[in-house]
Amino acid sequence: MAAVTSPRRREPLPIWRWVILLLAGAFFLIPLLVAFRFAGIKSFGSVLSQSGFTSSLSLSLRLAVVTTLITVILMLPTAVYVHLRLPKVRRVLEGITILPIVIPPVVLIVGVLQIAPGSLKSTPYLLALEYVILAMPFAYRAIDAGLRALDLKTVVEAASSLGAGWVTTLWRVVLPNLATALLSAVVLTVALVLGEYTMASLALFQTFPVWIYVNSQTSGQVSVAASLLSRFVTWVLLMAITVLGTRQQRRIGGGAVNLFTVARQETRGGA
Amino acid sequence: MTTNTARDAATAASGLGQAGRGGGTSVLLQDLTRVFGSTRALDGLSIEIAPGELLALLGPSGCGKTTALRIVAGFETADAGTVLVDGKDMSSVPASRRDMGMVFQSYSLFPNMPALDNVAFGLRMRKMGGSERRKRAAELLDMVGLAPQARQYPHQLSGGQQQRVALARALAVEPRVLLLDEPLSALDAKVRLQLREQIRTLQQRLGTTTLFVTHDQEEALSMADRVGVMSKGKQEQIAAPDELYEHPATAFVAEFVGVMNRIPGELQGSGSVTALGSTVPVRGPVPADTEVDVLVRPEGPTMQVVENGNGIVTTRTFLGSVTRVGVLLDGDVAVQVDKPSSEAAALAPGASVSLSLPGQPVLVASRRPAPS
Repeated sequence: MAAVTSPRRREPLPIWRWVILLLAGAFFLIPLLVAFRFAGIKSFGSVLSQSGFTSSLSLSLRLAVVTTLITVILMLPTAVYVHLRLPKVRRVLEGITILPIVIPPVVLIVGVLQIAPGSLKSTPYLLALEYVILAMPFAYRAIDAGLRALDLKTVVEAASSLGAGWVTTLWRVVLPNLATALLSAVVLTVALVLGEYTMASLALFQTFPVWIYVNSQTSGQVSVAASLLSRFVTWVLLMAITVLGTRQQRRIGGGAVNLFTVARQETRGGA
Repeated sequence: MTTNTARDAATAASGLGQAGRGGGTSVLLQDLTRVFGSTRALDGLSIEIAPGELLALLGPSGCGKTTALRIVAGFETADAGTVLVDGKDMSSVPASRRDMGMVFQSYSLFPNMPALDNVAFGLRMRKMGGSERRKRAAELLDMVGLAPQARQYPHQLSGGQQQRVALARALAVEPRVLLLDEPLSALDAKVRLQLREQIRTLQQRLGTTTLFVTHDQEEALSMADRVGVMSKGKQEQIAAPDELYEHPATAFVAEFVGVMNRIPGELQGSGSVTALGSTVPVRGPVPADTEVDVLVRPEGPTMQVVENGNGIVTTRTFLGSVTRVGVLLDGDVAVQVDKPSSEAAALAPGASVSLSLPGQPVLVASRRPAPS
């Protein structure tokens, strides 16, 4: 009598995994619960009517859109070009793109405010330009990892030998295969813009995080409620992006879209 | 299995009704030179590929064979020299307009498209209508035996299947020239053998002029009409496989293609060499020194079991119809000799044998310093 072992036997989760999971969960959830209790249900209703809520939220969302657009338009062609034509520059570029992490945002914004022309200083889109720089380390890395997983050179050459020009190759071959990487770049950029406080406040623009802070001076409960709401909205947004992205990727054999691992599984050979 | 696949391919290919397209395309590489930094990847390479011919470029890695193929494809530019396709200079024609199909060493299918769309991609670029395109792509997939996999994405296919789709994709556009850049080297041995036959069968049926680059001599010898052996950016010899094996023009070719023994000898004035006690004529280039190595294939020397001969049997490996015998000659020279297995019974390790050279002309090379 042959013993039938099921091919995918479920390993029992060791107890310590649960312990860590619970501890981490408590660490993240308790502050949220406390904040929720402090704010009370009622203040959620009054958030919307609070002066400045709509304008600051819409400013942050516009900044997120503009920043993401500039980031993708700048980073994607750069990364593709460097991968194809200047592989030696890749390391240099990696070094350059990490700089914004090393330089504190305060330094960046103070410097920019010193030298930026008045016309630029008066528009909030100055912040978008700054955020492009802040998002660069994450966005570039995400796109770079996606390009590495693709074997870009071979695929581009294959398309070209089949008669495709540059634009067609980018549009039909490169972009669809970078969907995961681009989504990751977008997710990271959006999250960064929606949460950035230092630069906006120093440049005297009332983005959503700045509004929350300013509001907390006058009405603590409402500002906490707003903060919880914004967290929830951001979370829903990011979940939507990752779920949609993962569904797309599963179809063509990629992995799940998540924030920090963007490399697609190599397509494997063998008999 | 193997023969079945090959036969399927042949039947399907003839069904496409384009066998032996009138004449085919000729390719001429003239004096190609390409320098990367301080290395000359190509050093005045000239090769002519006849219409419908499968020409293999064979050589060790770094010999420039891939560079040559990439110049023909239009992915690299030559520093000097030209590529002529049907007499037309290609240097100003971009890769996308050269009308060449290419199969790459690494898997090059577009991961975002199922097999059928991959094959149809080139047809789409040529503005072929949707239904006609899909029909043609399906025929091509059928030709490589992958009709059932049409809707599968590359990651759902095995390596061998991916390369077959890549082949179908390259052939779908009815290219004037087919370029194969070590398409089998990423596959395991069994699949490689199968695909080798399939490629050759298809190529012959379609009559597509083909340039095939490989470092695997067995692949080159078994598939190609002619093989060009390259070394250091130059062509060493270009000849039919049997010619290459039996009459290598240089010591490099002799040693790169097949197994070759080096036996120390001494050059005589009159174009002959003395080794193993006999004097035989020399052919091919002659080095300046008188101390040389004579190059002999394992099936070359005659060997008898004698007492106090000039060698001792060290190993005996049964290879089917022949048995390969390792012999240690006087002076610590190890050689390999093939004998019909029926005559190899007495050649047990430890037996004393006498080796001598047959009378045919031999190749010689500068003596290689003894390994320390």
